[in-house]
Amino acid sequence: MTTRRPVAGTLAVAGYVVMIVPILFVVATAFTSERTLRFPPQGFSLRWFEAALGYDPFTQALVSSLQLALIATVLALLVGIPATLAIHRGRLPGKGLVEALFLSPLIVPELVVGLALYQQLVIGFRLDAFPVLLIGHTVLMLPYAVRVTGASLALADPALEEAARGLGASPLRAFVTVTLPLLRPGIFSAALLSFVTSFNNVPLSLLLQSRDFRTLPVTMLDYVQQSYDPMVAAMATLILAGTVVIAVIAERTVGFAKIFGGINR
Amino acid sequence: MTSRKPALLLLLPGLAFLLIGFAVPSLAMLFAPPGVTAGEIVGRLGQMLTDPFDLRIIGRTVGLGLVVTVICVALGFPVAYLLARSTSRWSGVLLALAIFPLLLSNVVRTFGWLVVLGKNGAIGQLLTTLGLVDEAPQLLYTELAIVLGLTQLFLPLAIISCYSAVAQVDPGLDDAARGLGASRTRTFWSIVVPLVFAGSVTAYTTPYLLGGSGQRMLATQLFSYSSVTIDWAGASATALIMTVLVFVVSGLSSLVARKGATS
Repeated sequence: MTTRRPVAGTLAVAGYVVMIVPILFVVATAFTSERTLRFPPQGFSLRWFEAALGYDPFTQALVSSLQLALIATVLALLVGIPATLAIHRGRLPGKGLVEALFLSPLIVPELVVGLALYQQLVIGFRLDAFPVLLIGHTVLMLPYAVRVTGASLALADPALEEAARGLGASPLRAFVTVTLPLLRPGIFSAALLSFVTSFNNVPLSLLLQSRDFRTLPVTMLDYVQQSYDPMVAAMATLILAGTVVIAVIAERTVGFAKIFGGINR
Repeated sequence: MTSRKPALLLLLPGLAFLLIGFAVPSLAMLFAPPGVTAGEIVGRLGQMLTDPFDLRIIGRTVGLGLVVTVICVALGFPVAYLLARSTSRWSGVLLALAIFPLLLSNVVRTFGWLVVLGKNGAIGQLLTTLGLVDEAPQLLYTELAIVLGLTQLFLPLAIISCYSAVAQVDPGLDDAARGLGASRTRTFWSIVVPLVFAGSVTAYTTPYLLGGSGQRMLATQLFSYSSVTIDWAGASATALIMTVLVFVVSGLSSLVARKGATS
């Protein structure tokens, strides 16, 4: 395909180089046996992986990040799915406005939201950083929950649920047995997107960090600033491996393109 | 069908989260940061918009944002076009490869450039080994490094948005070329510009790791005000500039997209 359209082909190759090559370099340097980050890496060893997994700030931060991402994802779904139902199925005035409100965290810069939460809730109301961080992450994921499950809900025919009601099912039973199974792919996609978004988040986690609670990306940023050794490359490679696993699960279950189609439309 | 009362009940938890965790603090920040009055923020804003140091940061943020947007379209559209038109069995793999970085941490993606551009990095080593230069050029902590880092971050978004636009146009139609042109312009203004520009002018990790303290942008400046110098008026004013910038550009580009659709 590059031969027929040389200019487009060259630009496309340049695009892939910029997207992918730096990631490959991280992996290559993680396996070095040397003490410094340099290219080309010398020797082959797993010592930096051992070092990264034995470095308490990294392992603690990994646990913190996983905890935060899991709880925030569950919260966002618990709060977001009922809201999606109300927006799509309820007889509400100003539905468009309500939906816009739920999507609005997407348009305000995350750093600005983080600053606002820090100033007003942590300093103003003296709340602990962790609950505020949890609220902030949940709010950031609400748009995904509402938009992605909303797309599934739009495909589910309301007449099916009405038929179940007509046959004597209670509203809750009709929802759980008829509509909920149809929403499963949407809910799964929303959960996956939310989890990854929370785990990778920097702006909120940076501004709302505390001495006892720091996420992995923030800890890594801090570490790079102080020392420049292959241990961060090893940690980054481990995150890459975890992300590949998530991507494969996503592809096998719902399909990659579908999940991301959800955010763009 | 859910009637009005239960529908409101279903909305309530979400609305509570949005108010407490987003809307109220964001508005309160502009009018009442801790120990600072709204007047002081306005004063600070005026100072920033006239001070050459602050103006340079604003100018760099807007300028690099525009450059990255143009590059992302210039590289993203060809990738999307070739992927959508290709019948090769590799196109599925290539599409997945373009989407995958969206799932990957910004810190991991940006870290790669330290290895590529750093003092002992790949490009420096290559140039000195080949004898092209005596000493590796300073590539890290430059505007070029920031542009490369931001392009890497936002190219996948540009590709996906362009891909769905290209895939919608039926290549068999007589006026497919014209249709492609129209949908390309519309996608460009309504999706790619706001996404990539807003992302570029608000990104923190990239200017922090690749720009350092010499190439400050609004995001790194905001963090410095709020966590290093604890200057709440400065932080709120910077946040305001950043937010207005994002809103103005999204507003303008959606206007252009609408105008393009009707003419």
